[in-house]
Amino acid sequence: MNSKSRRAAIVAWWLLLALAAIGVQRTLVIGNDLRSFLPPPRNADQKVLMDEIGDGPASRLLLMAISGAAPEKLAGLSRALVGALGSDARFTQVFDGDESVAQLDAKLLPYRYLLSPTLDHAQFDAAFLRDQLEQRLQDLASPAAGALDDILPRDPTLETLELAQRWTPRHAPMLRDGVWFSSRGEALLVAATRAPGLDTAAQADAIAAVRAAFAALPDAASAKLEISGPGYIGAQVAARTRAEAERLSAIGTAGFLLLLLVAYRSPAILALVALPLASGALAGLAAIIFIFGGAHGITLAFGFTLLGVAQEYPVRVFSHRRAGETTAATVRAVWPLLRLAIVSACIAYLAFLVSGVPGMQQLAVFTIAGLLVAGMAARWVLPPLLPEKFDDVAESKWLARAQAWLADMPRPRALPWIALVLGLAALWFAPAPLWQNDLAALAPAPAGELAREGELRAALGAPDMRYLLVLHADSADGVLRLSERISPQVDKWISTQAVDDVELPSRWLPSLQTQRARQAKLPDRATLTGALDTALAGMPFKPGYFAPFLDDVETARALPLLDPQTFERSPFGARLAAMLVQRDGVWYGLAALDGVHDANALAGIAAQTGGAVRLFDLKSASQELVAQYRTRILQALGVAFVLLVLAVVVAFRDWRRAWHVLAPMTLATLLAIASLRACGVPLSLFHLVAVTLAAGLGLHYALFFERPVADAAEARRTLHATLVCVGAAILVFGLLATSAVPVLRAIGATVALGVAFHFVLSTQMAMRRAG
Amino acid sequence: MLLPALLLAATPAPAPDAAALISRLKRPVPASTAYTEVRFAHQLTRPLILHGELDYGGADKLGKRVDAPYRETTQVSGDAVTVTRENRPPKRFDLQRAPELKVLMGGFSALLGGDAAALQSLYTVSLVDNAPNWTLTLVPRDAALAKQLREFVIDGTDAEPRCFTLRQSNGDSSTMLLGALASTPLPAPPAPASLAAICRAP
Repeated sequence: MNSKSRRAAIVAWWLLLALAAIGVQRTLVIGNDLRSFLPPPRNADQKVLMDEIGDGPASRLLLMAISGAAPEKLAGLSRALVGALGSDARFTQVFDGDESVAQLDAKLLPYRYLLSPTLDHAQFDAAFLRDQLEQRLQDLASPAAGALDDILPRDPTLETLELAQRWTPRHAPMLRDGVWFSSRGEALLVAATRAPGLDTAAQADAIAAVRAAFAALPDAASAKLEISGPGYIGAQVAARTRAEAERLSAIGTAGFLLLLLVAYRSPAILALVALPLASGALAGLAAIIFIFGGAHGITLAFGFTLLGVAQEYPVRVFSHRRAGETTAATVRAVWPLLRLAIVSACIAYLAFLVSGVPGMQQLAVFTIAGLLVAGMAARWVLPPLLPEKFDDVAESKWLARAQAWLADMPRPRALPWIALVLGLAALWFAPAPLWQNDLAALAPAPAGELAREGELRAALGAPDMRYLLVLHADSADGVLRLSERISPQVDKWISTQAVDDVELPSRWLPSLQTQRARQAKLPDRATLTGALDTALAGMPFKPGYFAPFLDDVETARALPLLDPQTFERSPFGARLAAMLVQRDGVWYGLAALDGVHDANALAGIAAQTGGAVRLFDLKSASQELVAQYRTRILQALGVAFVLLVLAVVVAFRDWRRAWHVLAPMTLATLLAIASLRACGVPLSLFHLVAVTLAAGLGLHYALFFERPVADAAEARRTLHATLVCVGAAILVFGLLATSAVPVLRAIGATVALGVAFHFVLSTQMAMRRAG
Repeated sequence: MLLPALLLAATPAPAPDAAALISRLKRPVPASTAYTEVRFAHQLTRPLILHGELDYGGADKLGKRVDAPYRETTQVSGDAVTVTRENRPPKRFDLQRAPELKVLMGGFSALLGGDAAALQSLYTVSLVDNAPNWTLTLVPRDAALAKQLREFVIDGTDAEPRCFTLRQSNGDSSTMLLGALASTPLPAPPAPASLAAICRAP
């Protein structure tokens, strides 16, 4: 191929990749939530738990504060923002004050006699009504008189007020002009997003929508909108982590390109080096889309990390070109070993495919497809595109010296064994804990943001993120009955300050049985009129003033009972709808908790109710799920290792050679883990993935060092390729290791450390002596 | 000639007489006075008559005690209101939810603190001076409040307020006869006009 058509071909390949990337981008649905990466839930309980982790109502709340203006103006801005977001499909609910019972549908208003607990302990007889009316007279002489104007004739026993109190959170913020205010004078709002809290992309979108809506309000300029909440913090942390990773990767890439320029003295190489990896990544994505229809965010993160091995392929092709030989011939000579490395890695990743966990299957498909395509690109597409003129790296003088030095290096036979013993000892004596199960700890939010979230959460009386009381029964009404049954216990918890508040579903809607009992206690019109007349005797109320009350009671007597479906259509219904869910024929009631002080006391409810009511600790449950997931990955990695050993042994048909390749790789992996543990680092999923990548790279070093070569020049080329690979890996991942974000540091330090161990041990244990 | 008149009309300072009068009304802390309240409510065929005591404990601290015909204590401290009735658990609520009381509270605070400027910021103040008797009429500036409360009238003699009268937009009203006036016999039946007369003439 002449240089002109070569250039055209390179451009064409990049264009093709760009087109494919656009296509992939269009079809790719990236899920961001950890749950699809977890083992599929085995029963309805686990399903509910999975729903609630990162998806519970508490995690969907954006907490907002508006400050920097006079209170009346802040209240106006708050109301306007609620109005603007109210019609936005990204939000299910937006509140800036208590819902007024006046919002209760006029048709539902007579239901107050079935919803309020008054009739549980009272009769609408003359004595009760007299007592109530005397109090109303006192109310009329009190400051509250104005508030009674509208409801008094309809509702002399003030059931609407009773309901308003039941439906107001116990720690509601104070109201100014009907809008919530904090003690610092900020207007407070809450918005519930449709997207789960863990979906950082959707959360970022919702946050942008809030900011845009706020900025569009007239005279919002002087005021300041502050947002917090789990989704906000998650999105912030994700954005910061991404920015940090991108910054470090950019520096790393620049350094890598410089390294290539120094190593090959050919700018044309730079346009080619990324082609196999980019082709592999696109192929991996396409395979995931074709097979699974969408990709999981963590799959992609892990998959791209693991695919980093493919960066070795073009480097091997570049370094092994020799003077007087076509690149095609070079590649033909290197290919069998490269193929062995690729195929054995792919065979190893098959272990992930049979794990039964969707996320891991995606990871396997992505990695296997990516490695195969990257390898094929390096083998068949790359060589014709390489410039015909190049420097044979074997002629470099420093390389010859380095090769001689390495070849003559002492190789004490005991060294690997001593390293093994030291590594095992470090693992054994390393400080606890061995595992880091709290994924949030790997990308922690700044303390200031967490403190602010806690402040707003407390000011708004927003529910606890960690705990949830879960009731289950065989019907929605069964859940409501159960909720009523434990209500006295819940009141006891609140009075003993085990918890500040529990939002039981029956607080919103009583069971049918309770409604029926209350309805049965409502007197007929004649009886009630008689009782009311007796009660009114001698009182100054105008004649006929309470006629609307008589009408409403009459209506309430004949009402069909209110079921959850009907109630959920009312303005308050969204709250109940979020609390009652059905999974596999079991109904669950989810009661949000506010201010849990004694989780043990609350957990005791399980024993009292025979397990029908339980306290879910979402934090420990999610950590358990992470631990389960890690166990699966470890099992898969174990199987992968066995498959790798088999693949290498079968390929070599020689135990000794296989040992020379596999022993340094295994020992280096062990030492990398042991070093981390000796430094007191608890291991996470990210460490495991990083260790796997390093092992993939180490396999290459050992394979190529072990390769029998015809002459010393070829050994120098092998060393050149390996040094470029090791240098690149340590540069790119060493930079990540300097990050302040723990997850980046975990991946960076582990890979850099692992690569160093793999290189040293390969030169010690796999490298053939010159000659 | 027109310009100074316009300027005067636009200046939100009380007339010098009103300001001087208000500053004379300043009470030492704590202060308390007996009252008789007559309330005309549109729901009722006859007015409610209450007896009790008003307490002033300094800025934003006000107490109203009802001794007859029933016992009730209302304590206001800042924005927190506590209402305690005999044999019932105390009820707490926020001043924001009771605009009438908020105005009364702000008016009382400014009045008993002798703070003409504060009073002027809440109400348009006008004074009718028939020395030694006078009548201050306060009209709320806040539009939402003005929808409920038409005016707040204080009648007095020298440095002593005699009556507080709140007139609602819906026609309801309440008059509190203060101090010595609290124990004068009421006309039977009491009517707004006859009460106004008692308040104005010593």
